[in-house]
Amino acid sequence: MTLWGALAGGAVGTILLTSGLRLSQELGLTRMDIPLLLGTVVTDRRGPASVIGYVVHFLNGLVFALAYYAVFRAVGHAGWLFGAALGVVHACLAGGVLLTVLLPAVHPRMGSPWSDAEETPLLEAPGFLLMNYGRRTLVWTLVGHVVYGAIVGGFAAHLG
Amino acid sequence: MERVDGYAPIREYALVGDGRTGALIARDGSIDWLCLPNVDSPSVFARILDADRGGSFRLEPAVPFESERRYQPNSNVLETTFTTAEGRVRVTDAMTLTDIKRISPMRELVRKVEALSGTVPLNWSLEPRFGYGRADTRIERRHGRWFAHAGADALVLGLCDAGAGEAHGGAISGRVELAQGSSAILSLAAAHEEPVVIPGREDSERRLERTVSFWPRWADQADYDGSWREAVVRSILALKLLTFAPSGAIVAAPTTSLPEWIGGARNWDYRFTWLRDASWTLDAMLRLGFRDEAHAFFWWLMHATRLTQPRLQILYRIDGSDHTPERELPELHGYRGSAPVRIGNGASTQVQLDLYGAVLQAIWLYARKVDHLDGDTGKEVARIADYVANHWRDPDNGIWEVRDERMHYTQSKALCWVALDRACALADEGRIPNRSERWRTEADELKHFIDTETWDEELYSYVRAPDLRELDASLLTLALLGYDPRGKRIQGTVAAVERELREGPYVYRYLGEDGLAGDEGAFLTCSFWLVDAYAHLGRLDDANALMDELVGLANDVGLYSEEIDPRTGDFLGNFPQALTHLALVNAAMSIVDAEAAHRTTA
Repeated sequence: MTLWGALAGGAVGTILLTSGLRLSQELGLTRMDIPLLLGTVVTDRRGPASVIGYVVHFLNGLVFALAYYAVFRAVGHAGWLFGAALGVVHACLAGGVLLTVLLPAVHPRMGSPWSDAEETPLLEAPGFLLMNYGRRTLVWTLVGHVVYGAIVGGFAAHLG
Repeated sequence: MERVDGYAPIREYALVGDGRTGALIARDGSIDWLCLPNVDSPSVFARILDADRGGSFRLEPAVPFESERRYQPNSNVLETTFTTAEGRVRVTDAMTLTDIKRISPMRELVRKVEALSGTVPLNWSLEPRFGYGRADTRIERRHGRWFAHAGADALVLGLCDAGAGEAHGGAISGRVELAQGSSAILSLAAAHEEPVVIPGREDSERRLERTVSFWPRWADQADYDGSWREAVVRSILALKLLTFAPSGAIVAAPTTSLPEWIGGARNWDYRFTWLRDASWTLDAMLRLGFRDEAHAFFWWLMHATRLTQPRLQILYRIDGSDHTPERELPELHGYRGSAPVRIGNGASTQVQLDLYGAVLQAIWLYARKVDHLDGDTGKEVARIADYVANHWRDPDNGIWEVRDERMHYTQSKALCWVALDRACALADEGRIPNRSERWRTEADELKHFIDTETWDEELYSYVRAPDLRELDASLLTLALLGYDPRGKRIQGTVAAVERELREGPYVYRYLGEDGLAGDEGAFLTCSFWLVDAYAHLGRLDDANALMDELVGLANDVGLYSEEIDPRTGDFLGNFPQALTHLALVNAAMSIVDAEAAHRTTA
């Protein structure tokens, strides 16, 4: 089990997760656009927002890989399956709290259930289990994070 | 004001709201419609749909009274003054805005009562009925306060100098007597899936003051110096109430199933955003200088439609989802027996090609006046234009959502031409990928189809469809959107609509069949479109005269419903209606523009 393996898994897993969500957008399965959501914290220009968002999401992927690694160390085991199981927890955290509760609370351009007539937000909030972005969004978020977790777990166990 | 079987005339309602939901208040002080927490959530008060079991929040003098009311100047805060033999009281109603400095209720409705003269006894009664009156609503008194709850929803009633109240028969009611100079506050704090924040008098009054000061500050941004300023500002204030702030979407109306004819079955849920209204919305907001609202609505428009692009659904939920299944609520009696009451809207599965013209017009306006289109948006717009080029030959249900066999409606074809024309303009300006050669070819073919197949020499007008040789007021939009501007055929069509469909200030949508039984009133939006068409054709005297008449048709607080009964002047349909107010604003602005152009050329 190695830290570098986990980080490499985080990098590869984030690329796959982001690409998978982008693909599901293009296929009309979801309106979830993680880079746009993250990047518009900084700017309301779509182009720069997407670039910034991709970078931030990639860095998030590395930070989460460190968290996965901490769990692997604590438990004394890493592997594809265990990583995938952590991916389910990760998806629940992202879909149930991070994107649905915390992001709208701090995002300067995102609406929340408390936005009133005094505000003109530019982005709708993801809503419960990300359902506002399409009813299949949660499925793709779950699949993406399970793949991410499996790669981080596998890389941490077998690389280095 | 007289109620018929417990129902107030639709004309007698005013709307207060906070950008998330809105309450309809009758002139007799009864709040008869409120959905919580959002405008498209189930109702807690639905007396407009069932006078017995819908639920309401009543507040009125205990002795005979007369009432008059107004919105505070440039505001959405309502003041109702009750005059009795014993004295006068004023009730100020508002849904308060969130106070970001201190924890606020998720939603709050404040009713402040002030005695202006004498001593007036008042009765109040809160009958909450969650879930369109179908949920098991429980009322409890805890720690000296009244709570009502059902499932994840809860209300707490704040009473300050308004008596203690007692519960009986699913209602909390009380009586208070106010002497000159004294005041009382009744507030409702609502929560959904979270604990209720209990309102105190000072907190409620502070939030009320913030709300009172916000609205004029916002309305003063309106850049309009023409005639009918009061009506225009009232309309934009009404539109702001219909804007769902958390997403930027605009609902067609905050109500469901107010009938298009008393006792009829044309009762629809309008608590959704119709893309067709998009261009009128952006046009109105941009013309009046509300760039932030226009910007927010454009972002919603492009984001909400991504799941279905390049095909566009005719309506979307305010949270951006496209799932709007329609069903009936047989438990509710319907406004004056107008059943069924429906929630959801089955029209979402219809094909309405005209909306592509409206959306491309909106994008074109936005790109010219607010912001450039980024790369992704430009590609999406080009794909929508391609879709129009591929599908304009399809039959559709048309702008009036005819629930019958699909046809080749002229207005749909003309709006497809508008879509392709605006796409070409955007491409020529380098704002979207340039496939204008194909779009122009299709637009020319489309124009040829319209001019040969849908023109009737005898009527000297375009007709509803090649197979329907009758008039349709939606053809007025051709004049508004620049299809053959000021051409003889457009002039002829406007004259024919005037001749065949106009009755005084009223204009019917059409007189033919539409697959539904029953009558309907005159469609107010069409009247404003006729004003707009007059202005575009330079018929300024006609435009001014009709506009004067139409402004006089609003209710006492300046609001309009969807339709009006020409025989009685009664309002019909959902209320207040965004499209009517949008059409009013755009008609007034078109007159201002036409008068300015006339002065320049004179």
